[in-house]
Amino acid sequence: MGVIDFLWNGFLVALQPDNLLFAFIGVLIGTAVGVLPGIGPMSGVALLIPITATLTSGASAEEAASSAIILLAGVYYGAMYGGSTTSILLNTPGESSSVVTTLDGYQMAKQGRAGSALSIAAIGSFVAGIVALIGLIFLAQPLSEIAIKFGPAEYFSLMLLGLCAVSSFAGKSMTKSLIATVIGLLLATIGMDNVSGVARFTFNTPVLYQGLEFLTVAVGIFALGEVFSTILQKNKEEQAIAKVGRVFPTKQDLKDSAAPIARGSIIGFFIGVLPGAGAILASFFSYIAEKKWSKNPDSFGKGNIAGVAGPESANNAASGGGMVPMLTLGIPGGGTTAILMGALIMYNVQPGPLLFEEHPQVAWGLIASMFIGNLMLLILNMPLVKIFAKIIETPIKYLTPIIIAISVFGVYAVQVETFDLYLLIFCGLLGYFFAKHDYPLAPLVLSLVLGPMIENNLRRALTGSDGDWSIFVTHPISLGFLIVSALWLLIPIILKLRGKKVIINDES
Amino acid sequence: MSSRRTDRITAVILVLVGAFFVIQSRSFASASYGSGVGPDLFPIILGIALILLSIRLFYETFHYQDEKQEREDLDWKRFSIIVGSLLLYVMTLEIIGYILSTFLFLVIAIQTMERGGWLKTLLVSAGFSIGIYYLYVQILEGTLPPLPIIGW
Repeated sequence: MGVIDFLWNGFLVALQPDNLLFAFIGVLIGTAVGVLPGIGPMSGVALLIPITATLTSGASAEEAASSAIILLAGVYYGAMYGGSTTSILLNTPGESSSVVTTLDGYQMAKQGRAGSALSIAAIGSFVAGIVALIGLIFLAQPLSEIAIKFGPAEYFSLMLLGLCAVSSFAGKSMTKSLIATVIGLLLATIGMDNVSGVARFTFNTPVLYQGLEFLTVAVGIFALGEVFSTILQKNKEEQAIAKVGRVFPTKQDLKDSAAPIARGSIIGFFIGVLPGAGAILASFFSYIAEKKWSKNPDSFGKGNIAGVAGPESANNAASGGGMVPMLTLGIPGGGTTAILMGALIMYNVQPGPLLFEEHPQVAWGLIASMFIGNLMLLILNMPLVKIFAKIIETPIKYLTPIIIAISVFGVYAVQVETFDLYLLIFCGLLGYFFAKHDYPLAPLVLSLVLGPMIENNLRRALTGSDGDWSIFVTHPISLGFLIVSALWLLIPIILKLRGKKVIINDES
Repeated sequence: MSSRRTDRITAVILVLVGAFFVIQSRSFASASYGSGVGPDLFPIILGIALILLSIRLFYETFHYQDEKQEREDLDWKRFSIIVGSLLLYVMTLEIIGYILSTFLFLVIAIQTMERGGWLKTLLVSAGFSIGIYYLYVQILEGTLPPLPIIGW
């Protein structure tokens, strides 16, 4: 079967009425998550894992997995659309990849061009989503075919590369992000060891034999952690929201943004594919590129539509690009994709090179649903942008307690165990503490997901080589990955020593 | 935002955590088969890495610039009330049932966030707890702890 056949089958999955509904719910909630300042894409996706688990409980494993991932991915890219809304109307980014959008977006709103800015952001996001999908379709198969030849040594080194990349970009202090990574890996070792059957760090408590449930940890660290920090901050004064005005862009606006959208989509996709980079860097680079290529760079920061169109396309393309390493290699490049991967593993669907062979329904169903989801988002965002702007006004005093209640409900519904609720609260406190003191959360969750696989591959490789560690450097591909990992950690240090400012990618 | 003192305390705690993992791992029956690649290998490496990184963190605190005494005004009272009632909520969930415990938690939490607006608070709390229970238990046929006696 060729790519077209697979894609066709994917559409058959995605177009099933319940999956259409799931995609719709996903993008709708995603947009809301993007709009609401207190909650980012990572916590949004984490919060919805238990909800999707309950919604899909009746279906077969394969169907449940495809429906769940369709919904959760919808939240992810939907948040990229929604994030621009608050940047433009309020000058506060709803999620951090829309930070640069505030520069020109808010200026446009002040000039009464908020509607144009919003609709260009939506159109740009749509085009970028489609570009990213086409890239995903063409890269997925060849990448899987390469990866399938990897042995355990190559896999171990590749995962190490993923962890190093994410740690080196995240947070202000590399020591702290490496600490976060190691803590995540350590937490992953709790529970029964799959190979030897030895119970590790369980203190003979039966609830711990299964290990810490990923879902509980993710919801606690992200959703509760963010909520706790909102509670601690004193109520802020309400900000005035700019009027939306005329929703559709003028012909001139469209003409001015066509090229930035195209460039942003391509830049964004490739940055998204790289591990560790992601949507924030993508939007940042796109902004710099637009400013550089512009005929009058001085107009940036004063309401130039290219400053909205480029970055908004780039962050959406990057979220699509981020799916590539997760689906094909089984190595998420960032926090949100790590959570998506954790969700897939919950359904016994292992992302990686075999995904397209073993679960074509899930992989291609997801890809096809992203086409549909992006279309839904465009339709939702153009006429309904005024309604979404209203969500910003949701009073925080209701929102915060309800997010807590949803976390408790979600975790209890799936686990049916009060132990997990205590763990949830503990992880919330931990998440708050970490975020507050600059320990990035993305590496932590990534290593929590990758931990069991890294260990497994390490042990398989060492068992195969009779405990000889040189296996990791004598295999050329593995050696290559290790060198790149080392570079990834060393280059920021060298740059810092030379006094350069290092861009960080703070996803939460 | 990282303060020297917090980072030092954290570093010390993390050294202990790392040591704990290393020591615990050594008690696993290592080398359960052949090559000595047992269940203890990975946690021991990680424990040592954590210890080294924490020492590095401790060392780094000596290079922090003297921070301005800019204390953040955080609402610890509000935070403790909500986290406290969350703990109570979790403890009572299986005793007094989902609807009642959720309702009480929401009322307390919303009022702690901002006083006043009682009617709306009661409506939101009741709507959420009953709505979720009804949706999940009646329509999706899941289980949540019911109210005692009434069994709902």
